[in-house]
Formats: sequence, structure tokens, C-alpha cells
Amino acid sequence: MNPVLEADHLTKRFDATTALNDVTFSFPEGHIAGLLGRNGSGKTTLLHHFVGMLLPSAGECRTLGMPGRDLGDSELSRIGFVPQTPRLIEWMTVEQHLRYLGSFYHRWDRTRLGRLQSELALPSRPRIGTLSVGDRQKFAVISAVCHHPSLLLLDEPFSALDPIVRERMLTLLIELAREDESTIVVSSHILHDVEKVIDWVICLDEGRLTVNAPLDELQERYAEWTVTTRAGNLPARFDEPCVLAQESDGHAARLLVLNPGLNEAGFRAGHDVDLVARPLNLEQLFPLLIRGSHRQP
Amino acid sequence: MLIAIDPHSGVPAYRQLMDQIRFQIASGVLQPGAELPSTRALSATLSLNPMTISKAYGLLEHDGVLERRRGQTLTVAAASKEEHQTHKLGHLRRHLAPAAIAARQMGVSSEQAVRLFREMLNRPDS
Repeated sequence: MNPVLEADHLTKRFDATTALNDVTFSFPEGHIAGLLGRNGSGKTTLLHHFVGMLLPSAGECRTLGMPGRDLGDSELSRIGFVPQTPRLIEWMTVEQHLRYLGSFYHRWDRTRLGRLQSELALPSRPRIGTLSVGDRQKFAVISAVCHHPSLLLLDEPFSALDPIVRERMLTLLIELAREDESTIVVSSHILHDVEKVIDWVICLDEGRLTVNAPLDELQERYAEWTVTTRAGNLPARFDEPCVLAQESDGHAARLLVLNPGLNEAGFRAGHDVDLVARPLNLEQLFPLLIRGSHRQP
Repeated sequence: MLIAIDPHSGVPAYRQLMDQIRFQIASGVLQPGAELPSTRALSATLSLNPMTISKAYGLLEHDGVLERRRGQTLTVAAASKEEHQTHKLGHLRRHLAPAAIAARQMGVSSEQAVRLFREMLNRPDS
């Protein structure tokens, strides 16, 4: 698979702040990635580099194979970008603004536009300046996908939407991945939402990359084990290196385990215990994902 | 094909899909030779990433559970009687494992547990 996004020792400094610190990764085409991290972890700064709105202080980033500083019409016409706070022309009506944006693209699809506008219930007549925050987000998403982008980048696109519209937006992302065979990156705090659609995770913490991996690999990399014994004589501590965290009351212990599939047989052989393994969902994985090697556990 | 994927269970979606297709084959809902929906069609019904579905299909094909015939159509492979039996017992084992642990922890004897299971098999609503 060709990489769609690549960062090579990408560093970005704003005065005394280092927003991105030596970020290196490559993200292949055809996937839907969640760009995850806490507030101020560098998600927006990273996305802005991939659309050429910011240039690196050091290192390099490439989008569709092209360095950020050289992105031209041919690449930009294949990218859709939904910024966190879209800058719109406030005096235009929704309809005028959409027609204005459409005039920049050869592949502007009016049929898709009409369908999305009615599905998401975005009215045509109001002036942009009078729209609610939620309707502005709908506008930003719709206007970013009507030229059939092969790469779609969305920065916190769901924050102001109600659950029904959020659900519809998530289905839309899957549809775009299927119909346009597009590659998608969506940054979000609402892990419960993005978990439904992403198959890849890119995670930043304090400007450093901590994870760039398929979601199923991460789901299989960690598990919670509940270990019990009838005799009530569990060891005070399990010393296996695969045990990342543990709490025990002598009768039962809860363990956070690395590579459970590889380690279960050996663990069972070493202890006379009952073991129930429970997988971790994205919200439960998140604290592990942001705990990069640069931090002490 | 009725399939439900729980995106929040922590079990990778491709695994859930593989497990449910295997279960439907073991229970006879999907017969040998039955055609599976295309990746695109199933992605649309389940609102699942098409990549996830290709991965599940690919692994099931690799395991010999599914086979690709006449170009693109993916069908349920014919399996021997023994293979079917092993799959069925494998599924049942996974369902029973937590019950076995609970029985041991509560000190329920094997005889009591087996008697209970036999009763439940005879009267499914009990």
C-alpha cells in the first residue's frame, strides 16, 4: 500500500513551545484513522502540516507523496479538509457559498451535495453568519467531500453535533471510504464515536507520536485478566514481564497484560489459577496509547 | 445474513465477523456452497469499514472455511462431518468456559453442574 501521509522527523516550534517533536510515521492508503490525543497534544498542528497550512521547523511531511511546501492544485484537488473552526464567508447564503466553493473543482458532484444536504438537514437559504455551530460543522463536512477527495482530513468534526447527526456523519465516513475508496483521518475526543468507524490509530502525546498502528493490532496487544483461585493464596505480586499493572486481594487479582495471546499458556502453566480474559475497548486502551516511551509509566 | 458487530466490545471487528460466520456455518444457517455478500454490500449493511470485511473474508478463505469460485463469488466451503463436529464443540466450549470457572469458584460439584446443564438442555426455558 502506498503511504498517503508521511512524516519524517517532523518538528514544529512556536516560539518557546514545541508543538510537534520529532514525529516520524507513515499512514497507508485505504484506511480510516483516528487521530487521538489529549488537548494540546499536537493533533491540529499535525493536520495543518498535511494540508500545507503550516510548514515544518525541522524535518519533513509529505501528503500524497508531495512535501507540504510543494502541494499544488493536483494534490489539493484530491484532498478534503474539515478544519476545527471553519473560516467561511459570513454574508453569503448556504447555497451561494456552496456554489462558490463548487466553482473551484472539476469534479464537484451536485447530486452528492443535494443528497447530503437533505440527509443532514442543512437548509440552503440562511446566511452563513446566522448558522448554529452544529450547522456550520455540517456545512464544513459537506463542502469538503463533494469533489470526491481521495484523502479526507477532519479536525474534531463532531463536537457540536447531536447524537443523531453524529451517527449519520459516521455512516457517511464509511460510505466515502467505500464509494470513493478514500483514505480518512479524523481527530476526535469522542472515542466512543470514532471507535465505530476507524481501523487505524495515530496517537500523539505532548507533541510526540506514541502509536501508529491498526486498531485490531492494538486490541489484540492488550487485555485485562481476572485471575482467581479457590484456595485464596494468590501471590502478592505477579512478576511476569507481560503484566503491566495489577491489583490483588489474595483471592482475585486484576491484571493489565501485554500480548495476552502469546502469554496466556505460559501464565496458566506457572500458576494454578482460573483466568478470564477481557478485551479492552478504545476508551480503556486510550491511557495505554498515550503513554509513550518518553514518559515513565 | 444476520450479523451484529459490537464496536465497543474491544474484540476486533474482523474477529467478531469471522466468529459469527463460523457460527452460522456450524449451526447450519450457512450451508456449504452458500454465497456470501460482497465486501461492498456487507460494508453497507453493517456500516463497517470495507477493509475490515476484506480482512475477515481473507482469513476465512485462508483457513479453508470460505472459497472463491468463478472469479469473485465467495462461497462456504464444503467441510467434512468431523470438521463440523470439531467446530461445533469449539463454539460450545467457549460458551461454557465462564460457567465452569464460576462453578469451581462457588464450589459446585461436577455432578451438580452436569445435572444442571442436562436439565437446561432438556428444558431450554428453565
